[in-house]
Amino acid sequence: MADEEDGNEYRWETGYEKTWEAIKEDDDGMLEASVAEIIQRAKRKRQAERRPNTRLGMMRHLYIILDSSEAMTDQDLKPTRQLCTAKLLEGFVEEYFDQNPISQMGIIVTRNKRAELVCELAGNGRKHVDIIKQISQGPCAGEPSLQNSLELALSSLRLLPGHASREVLVVMGSLTTCDPHDINVTIQKLKAEGVRCSVIGLAAEVKVCRQLSKETGGLYSVILDDCHFRDLLLQQVEPPPAARTQDCSLVRMGFPHHSNGTESSDASSASSNNPMSFCMCHLDVESKVDSTKLGAAGHLCPQCGSKYCELPVECRACGLTLVSAPHLARSYHHLFPVDNFLEIDAKENQQPRCFGCRRKFVELDKHAYKCGACSQIFCLDCDIFVHDTLHSCPGCTSSAKNH
Amino acid sequence: MAAMADEVETSLLVIVVDLHTRQRYLRDQPSLLMHVLDSVITLANMHLMLKTKNKVAIVGCNASNSEFLFCDADAIQPQPGQSGQSTAVRQSDGQYEIFAHLETTVKQNIKDFMQDEQSTFFEDKDCESLIAGALTLALCYINRINKEKSAGENLNSRLLILTGCAGGASQHMAYMNVFFTAQKQNIVMDVCSLEYELGLLQQGCDITGGLFLKIPQLQGLLQYLLWVFLPEPPIRKKLVLPPPARVDYRAACFCHRTLIDIGFVCSICLSIFCKFSPICTTCNTVFKPPGSLLPKKKKKQIKNVC
Amino acid sequence: MAEAGKVAKQPQSRTFQCKNLHDYLKTLPGSTLDKLYNHPTTCLAVYRELPEIGRHYVIRILFVEQPVPQAVVASWLAQEHSKEHTEVIKVLSELRVWQEAAIPGGLPGWILNPIFKKNCRMALLGGGKANCIHSQLDADSKPRDIPFLDQYATERWECVLHYMVGSQQQEGISADAVRLLLHARLMKRDEDDGSPVITREGFQFLLMDTAQQVWHFILQYLDTVHEHNLDLVECLTFLFQLSFSTLGKDYTTQGMSEAMLKFLQHLREFGLVYQRKRKGGRFYPTRLALNIAAGRTSAPGDMEHLGYIVVETNYRVYAYTDSNLQVALVALFCEMMYRFPNLSVGILTRDSVRQALRSGITAEQMINFLRLHAHPRMIAQAPPVLPPTVVDQIKLWENERDRFNFSEGVLYSQFLSQQDFQVLRDHAQEKGVLIWQNERTRTMVVTKGGHDDVKRFWKRYNRGND
Repeated sequence: MADEEDGNEYRWETGYEKTWEAIKEDDDGMLEASVAEIIQRAKRKRQAERRPNTRLGMMRHLYIILDSSEAMTDQDLKPTRQLCTAKLLEGFVEEYFDQNPISQMGIIVTRNKRAELVCELAGNGRKHVDIIKQISQGPCAGEPSLQNSLELALSSLRLLPGHASREVLVVMGSLTTCDPHDINVTIQKLKAEGVRCSVIGLAAEVKVCRQLSKETGGLYSVILDDCHFRDLLLQQVEPPPAARTQDCSLVRMGFPHHSNGTESSDASSASSNNPMSFCMCHLDVESKVDSTKLGAAGHLCPQCGSKYCELPVECRACGLTLVSAPHLARSYHHLFPVDNFLEIDAKENQQPRCFGCRRKFVELDKHAYKCGACSQIFCLDCDIFVHDTLHSCPGCTSSAKNH
Repeated sequence: MAAMADEVETSLLVIVVDLHTRQRYLRDQPSLLMHVLDSVITLANMHLMLKTKNKVAIVGCNASNSEFLFCDADAIQPQPGQSGQSTAVRQSDGQYEIFAHLETTVKQNIKDFMQDEQSTFFEDKDCESLIAGALTLALCYINRINKEKSAGENLNSRLLILTGCAGGASQHMAYMNVFFTAQKQNIVMDVCSLEYELGLLQQGCDITGGLFLKIPQLQGLLQYLLWVFLPEPPIRKKLVLPPPARVDYRAACFCHRTLIDIGFVCSICLSIFCKFSPICTTCNTVFKPPGSLLPKKKKKQIKNVC
Repeated sequence: MAEAGKVAKQPQSRTFQCKNLHDYLKTLPGSTLDKLYNHPTTCLAVYRELPEIGRHYVIRILFVEQPVPQAVVASWLAQEHSKEHTEVIKVLSELRVWQEAAIPGGLPGWILNPIFKKNCRMALLGGGKANCIHSQLDADSKPRDIPFLDQYATERWECVLHYMVGSQQQEGISADAVRLLLHARLMKRDEDDGSPVITREGFQFLLMDTAQQVWHFILQYLDTVHEHNLDLVECLTFLFQLSFSTLGKDYTTQGMSEAMLKFLQHLREFGLVYQRKRKGGRFYPTRLALNIAAGRTSAPGDMEHLGYIVVETNYRVYAYTDSNLQVALVALFCEMMYRFPNLSVGILTRDSVRQALRSGITAEQMINFLRLHAHPRMIAQAPPVLPPTVVDQIKLWENERDRFNFSEGVLYSQFLSQQDFQVLRDHAQEKGVLIWQNERTRTMVVTKGGHDDVKRFWKRYNRGND
């Protein structure tokens, strides 16, 4: 057990160990320079941890299993575990769909020894956020059942085509689970189907959860506080390496036109081409009549002509996945990351300013960062910004030599 | 005394100017570049005129390079003891010091920039400038300004691109990264096209909530800039401005660069192909032949429905 | 008849008006405005003071020579903001930025004030005469950098404030300045010995932010320029030019008139400009001067040396400062507990706040002061910057003093029958003029405005009964 623990230590627990020994006074007896260097190093450390280019499971299908048992009414997270979890999950859902645009997510809630599917696998983040809000107002009662929830998730994930990445994320507040059979059998089944199960515990480490994540290749962690909780959730946003059992295939997808009543050049033919119609996504919502979108605008499935008001979506009529080009492009950066910059000593640096943000290098900058491809020099902030957010090197993209 | 109630909002405008000498509108009449630049400089000064705290930066780009023409490093810097420099020229007319400084600095920097271009002359038929590169520079810059602002200060940043070039396909990835970064950081990107309808940049405008405008005639450029692109996003909601154009979001396949309605997407790297190929050219994954895939998939979907 | 006194909200009306640039310019006669617009910098300053929509209106017609139909201008703004549109039109007309003009078709149109237009363009594009303040051509042998100027300006300004608070540790200020303080009614002559003492307005003045203080002070100064034989337009123009100069740059006094040199000396005294020697021939503007035109739009925490106050929910106020003045300001409404070399601790109590309220400071001013000088740490965790409990409590303490609401009215009493009373009362209620009534004693109070109507009704009612 102990050796498994090593890699899982929280970043700053290791990074700042004995920081007081690393701090040295400079000639004027000031600590500033020394402290600045430690902060710089900690910032960059995250980058070094990034995995080299591996095959990633980009089409993710993730079930969140949310504990709604009595344990979730505890107030160790403010205001309660349930509300805090719901709040953080909302952020997670947004980030998840932002980073994994053509992925899907479903939600299972477990309480009173039962598991309930509250949200089918779907690709529209707004719906999930609504459901999570509803759950946060719902009751928390009884005991959770880990096995029932996993079986429920498995029954749905099992049907997915081979190229899909199947994942389960359990948020567990309870220290116990009430299961009908041997949970080890379920775990083996999950393993066989290549479902990657990760668990975030809100209370303390539980053996069966560790077993579950270890067997299926997921992550297991127990939160320290709500900030840590959020960090752990955000860890799940990055697409995981593809499971060995996962197939590779070309998936057919549709790129719908945006149809609008006035698209065609002459208005009469346009109106006959695009009569007023209901979109497929709002057909079944009968209770909210006003939300039904009757109109000419929408995205038309190139295969069967059904209309949808939002992308991405799976066509209800012909089953084609409909996406728009930027949706796909949103995840390219996972596949083509910018290589890490080389750290060079400030003394070697000839440039007076950072190439990216034009900041003057000052004495506190002990290091500068050099792109291996274009040899431009960057400051630490730009280095982090380029790798964490921008995902393309300003030097390489702004000079023709590197094309 | 409720002065504190209305938030002090400052606005940073970064203008990306295409200085490619082989843009079509310049081929017939190279002098038009001066006209465009004058309009840009006036726009920048107008932006500074709007509010005391407004900031501006200008990035220039051509086919071989992109570089800052004006940023805060160029701002008037009173360097004690060295006021004999070019910046310390006595103001000879009624122009506001800062405006005059911006104008001279930008013109000087453009001169240097254009000379560089001539030295690195090479054949480029497509006429494509490194706008994406200029945008990455701009985003880095905005990122820093954002970090440097004092607590409680409110800064909204936006990008404006002026170009007469058509292409963009070869920088597709960089463009996309820029669009999504801008979207994430709430940076609005506007595009003022002097010549073409630019599909890719239109997508960017749509994603970031900016405006796309193709100028009908170059003579009135300044008025278009002032009317459409000078108002900051918060105030645009109040003004009547041209409606956003409909954007074509169809994908271009990686193999032939044609727009497609239905295509194949690699499950590993999300490359788009217009027809089935056994190996993904991007990530070298070997695919299962479609014969076995499609029927199987359909069957599963039926099951799924049940 | 109960004739209530006219004690209507005395404290509120006493909070003096710190006019902004716009309010001030409105009071100037049109000819003066036109004279002011003769200088590009003034146009720039006025332009920046316009409402945001108005600034865009001006830009849109800046390069248009003919009048623009009013209907066209109205169509620039979306329908739902038409209220804002009328507001903007009013401001632009008041400041004579634009004028009404008929277009050939007979439609009403707007055209920019030609002088304003000319000078605005000049500021933007160049041309015309140079400003009367030039940058120095030869380098200063002992140049001053920005931190020095900031420190100098702060010192000078605090000197004035110190004088007001009465802490005598600083050197005194000139007789002119004292006269100005008296004129501005920030201080008044003590009745006994004639020495100046601070007034209610003075207390409120102390709690404003520096930019506002400077502006208020300048306004008062401008009121008295005639006494110094200075020309108002000339002074204002110079001020605006100063406010558009560059911090840290030195400017020459060459070519300035005798009157302006005198004006410069006054500005120097308050720290708006720095001059090493009176006859040195060069001066540096300071941040105080630069902020004049920026007025209220200046960002907080710019000139203000970083915030220094931390307020906790337990009503403790920590002031991280070594300045006597700043401690004195906090002590205006806090009970000071400890004083350390760089930190003073006080506590907000009911007594201390009521003490401040009595001296004419309003709750809003105290809260604003605390917010304005909040420590960066407090701002970082905003919003809200201040603990809401403390803010609410200060307001409650203020409301405590306002337990009476006076409204003038007319008392009706001695009705002969219950029915008479009810009829009249119901009528008054219907009209919405009834303030108070008591059925048992058959008395009611009607607002003064409603009195005539009720009286008439009563007469008619009586006649009908007869």
